[in-house]
Amino acid sequence: MFDFSWNMLTYFPPGISTYSEAHDDLFRLVYWISAAIFVLVQLTLVVFIFRYRARPGHKSIYYHGNNVVEFVWTLAPTVLFAGLGLYSDEMWKVMKYSSRIPTPDMEIDVVGQAFNWHVRYPGGDGILGKRHARYRSAQNLFGIDPADSHGKDDIVLTGEFNLPINKNVVVHLSSVDVLHSYFLPNFRIKQDAVPGSWIEVWHNGTKSGKYELACAELCGSGHYAMRAVLNMQADADFAKWMEGKITAKKAVLAAEAANPQPVAPAPAEAAAPAGEHHGSSH
Amino acid sequence: MSAVATQHDHAHVGTHDESHAHDHAHHSVSFIRKYIFSTDHKTIAKQFLATSMFFLLVGGAFALFIRWQLAYPGEPIPLVGKWLPDSLVSNGAVQPGFYTQLVTMHATVMIFFVIIPMATGAFANFCIPLMIGTDDMAMPTVNMVSFWLVPIAGLTIMSGFFVEGGTAAAGWTNYPPLSASGTGHMLWVIGVFLVGFSSILGGMNYLATTLNKRAKGMRMFDMPLTVWALFITSILQVLGTPVLASAMSLLFVDQVFHAGIFIPENLLTANGGLYPSGANVGAGGGGQPVLWQHLFWFYSHPAVYIMIVPIMGVVSDILATFARKAIFGYKAMVFAIMTIAFLGFVVWGHHMFLSGMSPLLGTTFMLSTIVIAVPSSIKIFNWLGTVWKGNIHFTTPNLNALGFISTFVCGGLSGVFMAIGPIDVYIHDTYFIVAHIHYVLFGGSLFGIFAGMYYWYPKMFGKMYNETLGKFHFFLTFITFNLCFFPMHMIGVGGHMRRIYDPYVYEFLKPFQPINQFITIFAIAMGFAQLILIFNLLWSLKFGRKAPRNPWRANTLEWAAPAHPGHGNFDRDITVYRGPYEFASPESKRDYLPQWIRPAHIEQETAVAEKH
Repeated sequence: MFDFSWNMLTYFPPGISTYSEAHDDLFRLVYWISAAIFVLVQLTLVVFIFRYRARPGHKSIYYHGNNVVEFVWTLAPTVLFAGLGLYSDEMWKVMKYSSRIPTPDMEIDVVGQAFNWHVRYPGGDGILGKRHARYRSAQNLFGIDPADSHGKDDIVLTGEFNLPINKNVVVHLSSVDVLHSYFLPNFRIKQDAVPGSWIEVWHNGTKSGKYELACAELCGSGHYAMRAVLNMQADADFAKWMEGKITAKKAVLAAEAANPQPVAPAPAEAAAPAGEHHGSSH
Repeated sequence: MSAVATQHDHAHVGTHDESHAHDHAHHSVSFIRKYIFSTDHKTIAKQFLATSMFFLLVGGAFALFIRWQLAYPGEPIPLVGKWLPDSLVSNGAVQPGFYTQLVTMHATVMIFFVIIPMATGAFANFCIPLMIGTDDMAMPTVNMVSFWLVPIAGLTIMSGFFVEGGTAAAGWTNYPPLSASGTGHMLWVIGVFLVGFSSILGGMNYLATTLNKRAKGMRMFDMPLTVWALFITSILQVLGTPVLASAMSLLFVDQVFHAGIFIPENLLTANGGLYPSGANVGAGGGGQPVLWQHLFWFYSHPAVYIMIVPIMGVVSDILATFARKAIFGYKAMVFAIMTIAFLGFVVWGHHMFLSGMSPLLGTTFMLSTIVIAVPSSIKIFNWLGTVWKGNIHFTTPNLNALGFISTFVCGGLSGVFMAIGPIDVYIHDTYFIVAHIHYVLFGGSLFGIFAGMYYWYPKMFGKMYNETLGKFHFFLTFITFNLCFFPMHMIGVGGHMRRIYDPYVYEFLKPFQPINQFITIFAIAMGFAQLILIFNLLWSLKFGRKAPRNPWRANTLEWAAPAHPGHGNFDRDITVYRGPYEFASPESKRDYLPQWIRPAHIEQETAVAEKH
């Protein structure tokens, strides 16, 4: 049973990323300033309503305003709000500016597809294969270039994925159909997944455990079910898990080599720009 | 006319427009020209009012279905569930596809068919000519067209329920690629395009009327704040809505011709019921989904000011009247409205912090957005200054106006959180946003609309509404409103996303079900409380006490017209001698001094006016 509290600060899910504490601190700052203004204004309203209520013998005054007071209560909020905005910009830069993304310890691709999350790991060679929109199909959601040998051992998982703790992870985010949004509440990060773009998101989780990834952009009737599970693990555990996946992938590749499947016809035209995978538009 | 009216005529040395009198003497029109295709601004206002009230109930019903599903997922909707078709419900319980249609249609109806027509259709039409002392709008036929576009647009969008795939279901924000296919989305686009033109035509008319048809002696700074607010809102409508029309046109082209304006190349198509009819979005190519968002929000942010600014004007006039005191800082209030309107055009990106647009824009939009809190704060302080040392009468209109101040402050403060980019990263698309929206649009706009409806009811219908029922409606609504919407801030902070058919699929949201149930219970109570208002409005039409001309002893020009004015509005010449807020003036023995009372004849003219 949930304990209801009037203090909305108590509702935050546990924050486990390197910037969740700073985010929550900023939220708390704004909260207390807002709470103070809220109480002051509501109290003033109530006091005035009571004190100046119409009653026998009571009169209103003939008064049109006061320019000095106008100046003061224009300047004070301007200083307060502009100050708050300028102060908050540092946090914004940390979370969102490409130039502030720390050197990645690990890079993965994540795509949203109505209604699943798919994650691509680099595989045994440690390198993500090149990708391009022209290669995208239902069987090749990431559009991995079939000619790139680095892509062959890439591992694609759906619905559940693991990451190591205390590592800077850069996610290259996109979508294969409509807008989705990558929302990890415990990390305090969210970013829209835009089809046709690859957008960089970075996070560093400091606590192992099971966390949920939610889609936060309406993507169709199954939007509510577009949930994935992220397992954060200590280095050694993650390494073991990754080994297991790499081995499994090798087995799959070996099986395919033994029983070749008919190849799907290559998709049509379009001159090929070099298929980089940093912030490209394919 | 009574002997008293004759006294007025003799008191005027000024001109009485003979042709004006002549027109109105021979003015018998057919029932259709009088009530259906009327060009009289007061009738058009009532048409807007009735249509908006109808859509309020429709949009409210949609909200209650949403709330029911969030509180009791999979449970049949009580009473009405069994009557809904199988395409929408399963054993009377909302289905996921229907849910996404509900969230879309609830917002679409409330924004485009309730608040905007009420504020800029009903109030603008009723108040502007009367408050500036003229006979009608500058362009009465354009006015009529601007009304009729609303029901036509409404029918267009609602017809989506009857097409294959159902009505629009991509949210009222209608982001492509999701919105780029489906007949329902196409009908939505057409409907919004049409209702947008209602807004543009209305705005044009109000600008022309306000600038050209003010009564003799009325300078711009003699206009009441209701008129100023509507005037500035009209500028927003005329400048902003065409951009919405462009967005709709471009999306229509993508929907019908697969042009690829918003659609990037090689998207995967219908998959597990994503596009209900299995429609192909088209190979597309080179399109940018984010472009839609820029075009849409360039209008839709000013749109939220279109929805609140007229109300701020109305509330100012009501507070002054019932505090028996001038609005504090009239000119500052005008400049604050102008500032809000101007800044409203440069903040749209705060809806797009996470869209994938350049983060540098996040910085700039954060700064422009957060300073828009300043003119709004100025208005709040000025309203407090108005009631300070006033003589406050707690009539129903004033209760609603005071309630507006209380809830608007809360809504404005929650806006500060989302103006700050890094905080918005977390609360975007959560119930914190939903809480904010409803505090400003319901707590703000709708309470202000209620205030205006009760305030001008006597002038609109010539009858008094029932004061006891009015007070009861206010208190019940105010209490249930706060209990319903305040907890949404909490679950928003908890990460509860928007537009989610079944939140309890997520472990971290399971604990919030009791809160969702609490919210739903008060939402239902709040919905049913509105029936008191509807009953009061209709019952008083027939059984209400006959209203005097100026029941509130207010100062503005509409109260010079007869109760329930006829075509042409005024039964006397109107000249303006002073500003609209001369309450407690030393020039008068009474605590009010209307704008039209001649300076040398204050005592006798006010006495005569009171006898009507």
